[in-house]
Order: sequence, then structure tokens, then C-alpha cells
Amino acid sequence: MDGFPLLSAIVFTPAVGALLLLFVPATNYRAIRAIALIAALASFVFSLRLIGYDTGGAEFQFREDLPWIEAFGMRYTMGVDGLAVVLVLLTTLLSVVAIVYSFEPIKTRVKAYYITMLLLMVGMLGVFVSLDLFLFYVFWEISLFPMYFVIGIWGGPRRIYATVKFVVYTLVGSLLMLVAILAVVIAHGNETGTITFSYEALRGFGYADTLQALAFVAFFLAFAIKVPMFPLHTWLPDAHVEAPTAGSIILAGVLLKLGGFGFLRYNLPLLPDASVTFAPIIIGLSVIAILYGALVSMVQPDLKKLIAYSSVSHMGFVMLGAFVFNQQGLQGAIYQMISHGVTTGALFLLVGVLYEQTHDREIAHMGGLNARLPRYAAMFGLFTFASIGLPGLSGFIGEFLVILGAFQYNGLVAGITMVVVIFSAVYMLWMFQRVFFTVPSDWMRTHWSSLRDMSRGEWLALAPLIVLVVALGVYPGPVLELISAPVERIVEAVNGAGMTGFGPLW
Amino acid sequence: MDLLDDLVTLLPELILAALVLVIITTDLFLARRYKSVLTWVTVAGLVLAGAACVVVWNINETVYEGFYVVDDLSVFFKATTIVIGIFSALFAPSYLAVRRIPLGEFHMILVSALIGMCVLASSSDLITLFLGLELMTMPSYLLTGLHKTDRYSNEGGLKYFLLGSFASAILLFGVAWIYGLTGTTNVAEIAAAVDGTMSGALLVAIGFLTVGGTFKIAAVPFHYWTPDAYQGAPTPITGFLSAGPKLGAFALLIRVFADALAPLRADWLAIFLVLTVLTMTVGNVVALTQVNVKRMLAYSSIAHTGYIMAGLAAFANAGDEGAAAQGIESVLFYVLGYAIMNIAAFAVVAMLQRDTGRFGGLNSFRGLASRDPWRAGAMAVLMLSLTGIPPTVGFFAKLYVLLASIEAGLAWLAVIIVLNAALAAFYYLRVIVYMYMRDPEPEPAPLDTSPLGSVALALSVIGVIALGVFPGAVLGLLEVSAASLF
Repeated sequence: MDGFPLLSAIVFTPAVGALLLLFVPATNYRAIRAIALIAALASFVFSLRLIGYDTGGAEFQFREDLPWIEAFGMRYTMGVDGLAVVLVLLTTLLSVVAIVYSFEPIKTRVKAYYITMLLLMVGMLGVFVSLDLFLFYVFWEISLFPMYFVIGIWGGPRRIYATVKFVVYTLVGSLLMLVAILAVVIAHGNETGTITFSYEALRGFGYADTLQALAFVAFFLAFAIKVPMFPLHTWLPDAHVEAPTAGSIILAGVLLKLGGFGFLRYNLPLLPDASVTFAPIIIGLSVIAILYGALVSMVQPDLKKLIAYSSVSHMGFVMLGAFVFNQQGLQGAIYQMISHGVTTGALFLLVGVLYEQTHDREIAHMGGLNARLPRYAAMFGLFTFASIGLPGLSGFIGEFLVILGAFQYNGLVAGITMVVVIFSAVYMLWMFQRVFFTVPSDWMRTHWSSLRDMSRGEWLALAPLIVLVVALGVYPGPVLELISAPVERIVEAVNGAGMTGFGPLW
Repeated sequence: MDLLDDLVTLLPELILAALVLVIITTDLFLARRYKSVLTWVTVAGLVLAGAACVVVWNINETVYEGFYVVDDLSVFFKATTIVIGIFSALFAPSYLAVRRIPLGEFHMILVSALIGMCVLASSSDLITLFLGLELMTMPSYLLTGLHKTDRYSNEGGLKYFLLGSFASAILLFGVAWIYGLTGTTNVAEIAAAVDGTMSGALLVAIGFLTVGGTFKIAAVPFHYWTPDAYQGAPTPITGFLSAGPKLGAFALLIRVFADALAPLRADWLAIFLVLTVLTMTVGNVVALTQVNVKRMLAYSSIAHTGYIMAGLAAFANAGDEGAAAQGIESVLFYVLGYAIMNIAAFAVVAMLQRDTGRFGGLNSFRGLASRDPWRAGAMAVLMLSLTGIPPTVGFFAKLYVLLASIEAGLAWLAVIIVLNAALAAFYYLRVIVYMYMRDPEPEPAPLDTSPLGSVALALSVIGVIALGVFPGAVLGLLEVSAASLF
């Protein structure tokens, strides 16, 4: 490892950009956009260096470790494993996309907007690279509030309701998690005599069953709300519908992944016994989420809401894959997270392209757009198919692996899940048909002449996602290799675990 | 030269007392347009007193026949007192000037109250304790009613005075019972006398002391004076009232309950737990319904009292000395952090009251972000800190209390605290919603942009963030301070 603090650079470059923005006149839009883009790009470029992660080397690489609050054993520890590497790359890339896309549509309080977006980046990236539970919690909360502002200031008509709901849901979960973190730390401290928040020290420690069960519930709430998992998902459609397009991209693309990441990084290795014992419940909820999300998506009249509910279904796959505890399931879960981030981010971006022109997202108001906007339709089609899980595109690999993992767990679970894959084809294709093929609605005819196909800026924002969705679909090797070691560790951690005191739950 | 040595230990108090005299005399000879000099005199004096705190740090001596103790705990309280004093002195002048409230009187009464707080923190005898308490609260009554031509100020002052004296009397009655039972008023001797023996009479004494003490910190159900007193008082003074006398009262609780009655902690723990839960929950629920930010902050200050009390409960329930010390440390840290953020929050409300017809309603905050991004940003940071969001001092203070509670085996209390914090997020974030997500009023409230207040606000916000990111800077001091008790 060279002396350059790479991870700090990735995390805090956006913060430096935000700080610089404070001193730029609020009306100088060009400079503001340029600084925001440069800061995000710089962070992205730094993160590319992570591709050099040595899959045969130490678990956590690019480590940084500095004392912070020594009285309580809190340290500034950062490091990445394969899982964090892919998520950091996803985050920096999607942030750049969101910032580029925002150039056109965001016209009010431009400076505040980019400051918020950059701070959001800091929080999200920090969560992925922290190896100290206190540091992790700080970043976790930092990632929450910028999104609160993004929805609340630049959102749609019911933005305040949506954003308050979003914050309060998330805050309840995360505050309970804070108590759980402290309880775990203190239990570990009382046993060993040293108080530490270090992730590496705390995991794999045999905590008492009661503590594990309670801490699991608290961690579960925090992460499940973020994922969001049925029945804690109700904030998501509201937040998505009201959020500006770039907000939706980040929300679907990265923020939901914080929840999935939390489960894989914290719940399973820290509390393996409780995880194993509670797994049947969580698998049950995941299956419900997969099914419920798909069914509800079918009847959504609003494009964004449809994609939001489809996220509930897709993230259900992630949870299912995570809690069947085998190699395929876990790899599928992680792959599904990446793929969902790319496809859903792109879909929200594309919905935004249309919304900027018509200020409407009613599916019933559309129709026949293929004739007017062929290139736009092609792109929308590409990501629709990716979302359905067409082989050759990114969505397929994740879902396939998860179902494979689920089969090893229970044939029934896998069977239900496979049926839902058909449902997802139904709602996505039906939506695509109503928007792009049928006869244009009367409402759309009034806008017909003013419609334009994708602009250069929109192409620019979308381009990396197009490349990724295909690349991830045909050549999953590198990503799978990156995540295989973390997955093995998780499988190892939960292997043979279980709470003795509680016995089988059924 | 024993007397002289003893005097040195009183250096901060002596400087403050001298400062009172200097302010009165300077005020006499200053022409009206030079009155602002008084603020500088006050601040300079306070800084000097702060420096004196460094001198008396690490002395740990009981002086004046056991009536007065200069231990590190008291010095920490004194230093915090002086921080409170400096911020109060900086924030108030422009608000007072608009309302023609005499500046000299304000500074002089403020510093007197600070002396009371210092005496309270240093008392090792219940008589000194009561003396300090009165020296603190009498000026507080005056400050509340300082806006003589304002009915609400008068009402607040009068209510505070009547109920406050009543509570002081109850407290004094408790002191009398203690004296009757133990034959002493000295804290250390009381602790020795009550060791392990609980009696019905002692329970009565504890009851009186609890009622009197919790009235002063405004714990539920003895909080009814708070909203009216806080709302009636001139706004920057409300900031002081919410931090200063509260700090003094917690010093009192620590001296009485964590020192004199420490051997009986198992007996007073139950009542404290009930009061703690009641206080934070009622404070938050009622704050939720307020549409006036000043009154909302008043109720929220009750909720914060509850969080601080949790630290005392942790002290009482702790299994070992380390955990008990952590309870006290969490109280100290919370009081310090709370003082900085709350005084500043009230100050922002005051800045929006440049127009004397404004009373700090939520609507004054409408669209503040587009009118004055810096002040709105500062207020947003303060609100997030009061909610307990990292990386701010409010977060670390709450974390400290949670840590102490869990360490002391009160994990359920920690859960109640965080649920309360989530509840509090509703009303703190409402202010942010009004500032950032609503359009300004057609005729927005004029803003007070005096440089003095702006600098103090900037200092507060820097303090809030700096202490949140690097709390380690004071943790060492806290440890030493809390150790004085053990």
C-alpha cells in the first residue's frame, strides 16, 4: 500500500467540492456545474484505482487507520473488500450520471442543489468503506439528510409529506441500530476488557443469544427500511414519485443498496446465530416482497410508481439471495444489487427525460411514442428488458443466481420466485407497450409536435449505463470474482450458526 | 496566610463579582450611544474569569471549613458557565436595543446569575448550595421580566418567581429534614451518615429534595412554569435561561444526589427513572404540537432535561465505578453541548424578531434559506444537532448518554431515548422544512444582522460541529472532572 489515502480521497473529494461551491456566486451556474462535475468525476477517477484490488490478497485493502476518539475506542478505519469495491464504483459512477443529468432540469437554487448532491456522495461512499462501526454510523446518518433536502426542495407537489415520511422512517430504524451497535460494543468490551468499535474485532465474537436476537431486530429494522423490505416499503413510492429525477437515480441506484450492503456486511457476520434463526422469517418476507412488488407494479398508473414498486420486487431478490446462505444466492444478491442500480437508475433517468417535456408521468396519457421518439424508445426498451432479466443483459445473472441459490434452500420458494419473474415480464412489457406502441392518447397528441428525442446531455449521462448493462450481462466474470471472497466469508460465518436457546422457529 | 490561599481558589468567582461592580459603575458614566462598550467589558471580564478557571483546575481543595469545594467537577461547571455567559452576552445586545431594554442592567444581572451558578457548582455544604441556588435564580427571575413594558415578560417573570420561590422553599424544607436526620449539612458528612440506612423520614427528605431539584431543571411534572417563563422572557435571555439555570440545577442534583445521597442511590433511582421517561416523552409530545418556535424550543428543552437525567439514572444504576463515572460524564458533556446549541438556536429566533411585532412563529422562518442562506444554514445545523444527527455535538451528547445507560444496564432506557429522538426529529425538521421548502412570506420578518450576533452564531456553529467531530478534546477533562466525585 502506498502512502496515498485513496479511500479518504474518494470519500472526501466531493466534500471539498461542496466546500468550494459555498464560495461561488449563486448565479454563476456554469462554474457551479463545472465544480460539481469535476469533484464527482475526480472521486470517480480515484475509485477506478480500486479495480486494482487484489482478489488473492488481504480481505480489506487500501486500509487507513487513524485514532479518532480514543476514550471510546473509536477509530477512523477504512478499507474495502470486493463487495465494497463494486458498490463504491457503482456509487461514484451513478453520482456522476446524476450530476450530469441534472444540468438541464435543475434551475432553482442550483448551488444548494449541487452542494447537497456532493454531500450525499460523501455519506454513501463513507458507508461502504468504513470499517469502524461508529464511523459507519456517522456516514449512515450523513447519507440520509441530503436526500431529505433533495426531495424536499426540488421535489414534486407532495414533496414535504414524502420527505418527512422518508426521514422519519429511516431515522427510527437507524437510531435503534445505534443502540444495537452500542450494546454489541459494550458486550464485547465487557468480555474482553477493551472498548472498540472496530468491525474486524467485533465480528465473529460469540454474543449471547438474547443480545443477538435484540440487536438483530434493531439492525434489521434499520436496513430493511432502507432496502426497503415489505412491509416497511411504504415510504419508497412516495419518495420516488416526489423526488426529482436525479434524486430517484441515486435513491434507487445507491441508497437502497446501503440496506442490502448493511445486511451483508453487518447483520450476517456480526450476528450469525440470530441471522440463521431468523432467516426463515426473512425469506418468507422476501418472497412476499417479490410477489407483492410485482403484482402492485402491474396496476400502477404512474411510470415512476411502477418502477418504484418493481424495485420492491427486485430488492426482494436481494434479500432472498442474502438469507439462503449459499454461494449462489449471495453472489446473486450482490449482482442483483449492482444490476438493479444500473437498470433502475437508467429507467428513472429515461422517465425523467419524458417528464421534463410533458410534466406528466401517467401511463394512460402516453402511447405511440415509438413513432415520434425512436431512439428514446430503443433505450427504454433496452433497460426494460434488462429489468425483466433478459439473458445477455445484467438483470439475468443476478436473478438466475438467486433462484439457483433458492432451489438449494427450498424448491417451493424457488418455484414461487420463478413465477414472479414471468409477472415482471408482464408488468414491464405491458407498460412498455402502453407507452410506446398503442395509439397516442389525445393528451399526448397535444404535446406531439413539441416532443424531442434525447438530447446530447442525456445521451452523455446514459452512455455509461448502456455500456454497463450490456457488459455486466455478457461478461459477469470480473465482478463475480471480486465478490466471491466476501461471499465465501459470509457463508463461512453463518455455517453451523444458530441460536441454541431459541431452537427452530418452526 | 491561609485566608489568602483560600481566596486564590475563588479566583473565577472573585473576578465575576468584580465584573458586576465594574459594569454598574461603567454604566453610570457612559453616554447612551457608548453603551455597547459594556458588552465588551462583560465579555473581557468573562474571558478573564475563564482564564482563572485554568488557574484553579487541578487544585481539588475543600476550603472555608468545608463549606466550599474547588474540585475539577466544579471547575468544569464554572468553565461551562462562562461559555454560557459569553454567548448570552454576545447575542443579547441588538435584541435588547430594539426594545429599549437597558444593556447595563442586563449584563450586570447576567453576571450575577453566573456567580450563583459557580457557587452552586462548588458547594460542599447544603447551606452554600442553597445560597448559590438563590444567587442564581433571583437574577433569573429579573432577567425573565426584564422587558418591563411587555405583558408577557412580566407574566413570565412573575410566574417564574412565584413557582420558583415555592420550589426553593420545598428544597429548603428537604435540607432541614436532612439536617434533622443527620445532624449536619455538610455533603461528605451526610454521605457518611446515611450510608446504607434507609428510613421513612429519609424518604420524605429525598422526596422534598427531588421535587425542589427537579423543579429547577424543569422536569415533568414540575415543568409548568417553563413554557410561559421561556416564552415571556426576551428571546436571547430565554436561551440563557434554558442553559444556565439548568446547568446550575444539574450541578445541584449532582451535589445532592450523586454526592450526599450517593449511598442511597438504589432508593432514589426508581423515582428518577420515572421522571426521566416522563420528562423526555411529555416534553417531546407537547413540543410536537407547537407552532411557535420559541415555545417549541421551550418544550424541547424539557425533553433534553430528560435525556440529561438519564445520565444521572445511569450513574445510580451502574454496577461499577467506571460505569457510574460515565453517567456523570455524560451529564457534563450533554450540559455543555446543549448550552452551546440551544443558546444559538434561541438567538436565531431572536434575530427574526427585529420587528417587535414578531414572536418567533414558524412563519417567520418561511423561506429563510433563500433570504439569508448563512443564517438558515446555521439554524439547520443547530436543528440537526438538537435532533442528534452526526457529526454534531448533539449527536455525541446523545451517544454518550446512550452509552452510559447501556453500560449501566439500562438498555431499555436507551431505546426510549432514541424513540424520543425520532419523535423530536418531527418538530426540529419542521423548522428546516419552513426555512428550505416553503416560499417566503409576502412581507418577510426583517432580520437582525448585527455583526456581534453573527460572529457569535458562527462561533456556536463551529463549536457544535467541532465538538461533534472531535469530542476527544473535552473527554479527558470530563473524566478528570467526574473523578472528583469518587
